[in-house]
Amino acid sequence: MAARKKTSAKAAGKKRPAKKKTARKAKPPRAPASLAARRAGLVVIALAFAGGVWSAGWLLELDRVVVSRFEGRRFSVPSRVYAAPIVIYPGADWQRLDLAGWLTRMGYREQNEAGPLAVGHYRWLPGRLRVHLRGFEHPQLPEPNRKVEFRLESGRVREMRDGKGAPVDVVSLEPEPISSFYGSDREQRDLVERANVPDHLVQAIYAVEDRRFEDHHGIDPVRIAGAMLANLRAGGIRQGGSTLTQQLVKNFFLTPERTLSRKATEAMMALMVEARYEKEQILEAYLNEIYMGRRGSTAIHGVGEAARFFFGKRVSDLEVDESALLAAVIASPNSLSPHRHPERAKERRDLVITLMANQDFISEKVAKRAKARPISTAAIALESGQDRYFLDALAKQLPEVYDENLLSVEGLRIYSTLDPTIQRAAVRSLTEGLDALEKRLGPVKVAEGEEVPVLQGCLMAMRPQTGEILALVGGRNYSTSQWNRCTMAHRQAGSAFKPVVYSAALSPQSGPLVTLSSRIEDEPLSIETPDGLWEPVNYDKKFRGPVTVREALERSLNVPAARIGQAVGIGEVVSMARRLGVTSDLPNVPSLALGTAEVSPLELAVVYSTFANGGLRPTPRSFIGLLDDRGVGQEQWPLAGSRRVLDPGTAYLTTSLLEGVVDRGTGAGIRARGLRGPIAGKTGTTDDEYDLWFVGFTPEIVAVVWVGYDEPREIGVPSSRGALPIWADFLAEISGSKVRGVFARPGGVERVEVDPESGARALAGCRQSAPEFFLEGTAPTETCPVGGRGGGGGFFRRLFGS
Amino acid sequence: MNRRRQLPQLLFFFALCPLIIQMGCANGQIYVPRSPGLRPTVAPLTATRAIGGYDSARDASLRLVIEGLDADQRGDASRALAKYQRAIRVDPTNPFAFLALSRHHLEGDSTDQASAFLDQARSLFETQGRLGPAVDVWGLGLRAGIDRARGRNARADALFLEARQLSPSIWGDERLSAAELR
Repeated sequence: MAARKKTSAKAAGKKRPAKKKTARKAKPPRAPASLAARRAGLVVIALAFAGGVWSAGWLLELDRVVVSRFEGRRFSVPSRVYAAPIVIYPGADWQRLDLAGWLTRMGYREQNEAGPLAVGHYRWLPGRLRVHLRGFEHPQLPEPNRKVEFRLESGRVREMRDGKGAPVDVVSLEPEPISSFYGSDREQRDLVERANVPDHLVQAIYAVEDRRFEDHHGIDPVRIAGAMLANLRAGGIRQGGSTLTQQLVKNFFLTPERTLSRKATEAMMALMVEARYEKEQILEAYLNEIYMGRRGSTAIHGVGEAARFFFGKRVSDLEVDESALLAAVIASPNSLSPHRHPERAKERRDLVITLMANQDFISEKVAKRAKARPISTAAIALESGQDRYFLDALAKQLPEVYDENLLSVEGLRIYSTLDPTIQRAAVRSLTEGLDALEKRLGPVKVAEGEEVPVLQGCLMAMRPQTGEILALVGGRNYSTSQWNRCTMAHRQAGSAFKPVVYSAALSPQSGPLVTLSSRIEDEPLSIETPDGLWEPVNYDKKFRGPVTVREALERSLNVPAARIGQAVGIGEVVSMARRLGVTSDLPNVPSLALGTAEVSPLELAVVYSTFANGGLRPTPRSFIGLLDDRGVGQEQWPLAGSRRVLDPGTAYLTTSLLEGVVDRGTGAGIRARGLRGPIAGKTGTTDDEYDLWFVGFTPEIVAVVWVGYDEPREIGVPSSRGALPIWADFLAEISGSKVRGVFARPGGVERVEVDPESGARALAGCRQSAPEFFLEGTAPTETCPVGGRGGGGGFFRRLFGS
Repeated sequence: MNRRRQLPQLLFFFALCPLIIQMGCANGQIYVPRSPGLRPTVAPLTATRAIGGYDSARDASLRLVIEGLDADQRGDASRALAKYQRAIRVDPTNPFAFLALSRHHLEGDSTDQASAFLDQARSLFETQGRLGPAVDVWGLGLRAGIDRARGRNARADALFLEARQLSPSIWGDERLSAAELR
């Protein structure tokens, strides 16, 4: 220190000698104590200066943080995906549509007390259901709140009337949220604007959390002093002194640790926030940020989401007691959760109501009425993990501007084509079907140390007229495997590919090469290929001699299919497959006719949709539109028309063949399960039973089931025992035992009686006959009996034989 | 004597006549000659008249189509489109919903979509056994309108001529309004 002083004086003397001389003259030399004090003062000033600079930097940094958060994207809101709305109409099967389940899942609450039904409530009466439906936003058809009374009779909606008693033709129910594109924090919130938040909710929050919010500047000394006093009296921390602004700052910018420095930062930021922003802005941010509890692994933030979570209603529809309950929960969302601790929650809610009355926010009468109401919360509807497969598929179809990072923060509302009833049936059928199959198969034999493989599967359903994906379950358990076997897996199609070969041969473009009554040799066949001789055999290793085209497909015979493939040409088969919607690589080899190509279930869904849709190929689609986080339309994907790729006649003939498969062939298990009506489909079992398929359709829906191991290995059963039962179970659940609609014969196709043995046109006198369909002008000219003209003797010949 | 013999037949014919005409109007399959010497015209099967002809899902879907046509008539194209799509959601095999979509897209000069939806409508009418003059009248005129918009005037003229012969009141102006299909 002494050396430093000396050096300093010397340096000063060297640089400014004159001044020093003058100074010495003007002032008498100071005593050492005064010099030390002066120097200490200088140090203090220097330190203060440095502190000031540091503080200014700190404050500037805090300010930057505050501004960037408040003026940038304040909240990360996961984009939420909604199912298609359920539409109810007179005559609808309300039990199959699961109207009661919908009420529960959407958080509607039963109101038993008399008086008008509140929004989001329903009341069961003998033979009737009254519901005060919530309005909802939608990119195409938003709906307002409305009261509807459903008259129910024998499982059907007999009549619907609105709140004034006028008849209603059609009611669209609010789309169910399926799931969300969460970020790493898994927070869910429904953003609200202050204008849409009822005053009584704000007052309830003021009353219990910060009664002087409108007056203070971010921190409330009175409240802090009160809290300190209360904590001193209690001998521990019992009460907090934080204002709403401080709570917001803590949640927005800071960690929950209880340190002095964190508290100081919180207070400083609160002051800054108050200095920069209006009270309304701060309050709105608070209302959207505040933590309100958990739904499974998802954190609920903000009063908007909390209103839906606790009461199943929009925040604007909250009653006073419900607002008080929301305000009550803020202090400790987990220990005061009305779902888990209703008594504690009620006690706290009543305290909030008392505070509201004490602070003149509500009258004593209103407070008394609010306290008298029991705690009534909506059921918690947890997301089904299995729906995530659909979400992944949907994310790939969204416009490129919505990448996955944006989807987890943008708060988009994505309206999908998923049918919640059909999706639930798909999830259940696949899960239970695979469980049952695995049980039947017994334990899988693996080498020591090898992991036991899990039997996997996929089930998807598509609307043939529109390409809308109605259900999609890409695996057995999304949490253990996110690999989507409906859209990403490419597996050998096996016999499920044969209808492509048959349609190529039946199409007029090929001649047509065959008709349904043409006879094909089921005899050993050898075909030269670059890899050597190819000798296809049937599944049962037997040969049947000549069989009709119909019989060949109904029995899924390989040799006739290989012959047809050769006759029509593999190039033509590839061309037909492309037209029908197959985009995967297709090897130009003879065995393609037996389905050796690897395709995805989605591709097969499009192929069969084209048959079901009379030769018009739909474009698969999984979403119909987007709204932004304020409910403003962003994108719409209107329905696009299907493309004609196959003539209606050939589509019908192929459908007729596939109906035969279900009526008499390898798909007869469908009928054995009691399913009636127009159903067509095809089994598919690949070599060594590695892949099991059933692809089938009705006039309104196409469904694909695939079963197999991710690492191909033998399953041990054919598709009729592996995939078909799952498909049949699924169809029975969504359609009941009778399927709607009809596969009607289009113009240009004629129905002719033929002799099933010879394939000749059956005239009177032919021993047996069965109806068969032909493109006009292609019916057989040869007759049974040969040269017969019908008429005389036929009846007797049939009666007594020839 | 002969007249006396014919009398019961005539009475039977006159008794059945209103029933036959009623059935013809109801299912739209019977030609109703306007006046002697002219080509027969047809009572087109409108969405409103189709209600009650199938099942409850079809009826609900048709009502949505009618709401869509009303929206189209008011000039609210996006609402109309939404109603048609909702109608298809309720009954994907309702040909009227696709017919209305075809008309809607033709009005909006989207001829590819108009053509695709017309194909779909025709396919559904056909597979439901409903094709006939009362339905053809829509298809002919819409196909003619699509051809006209694509500059294929010769074919458009021929198709419009056929459509006008079936229904001069609708196709006289070569345009199908939402109210006419309603």
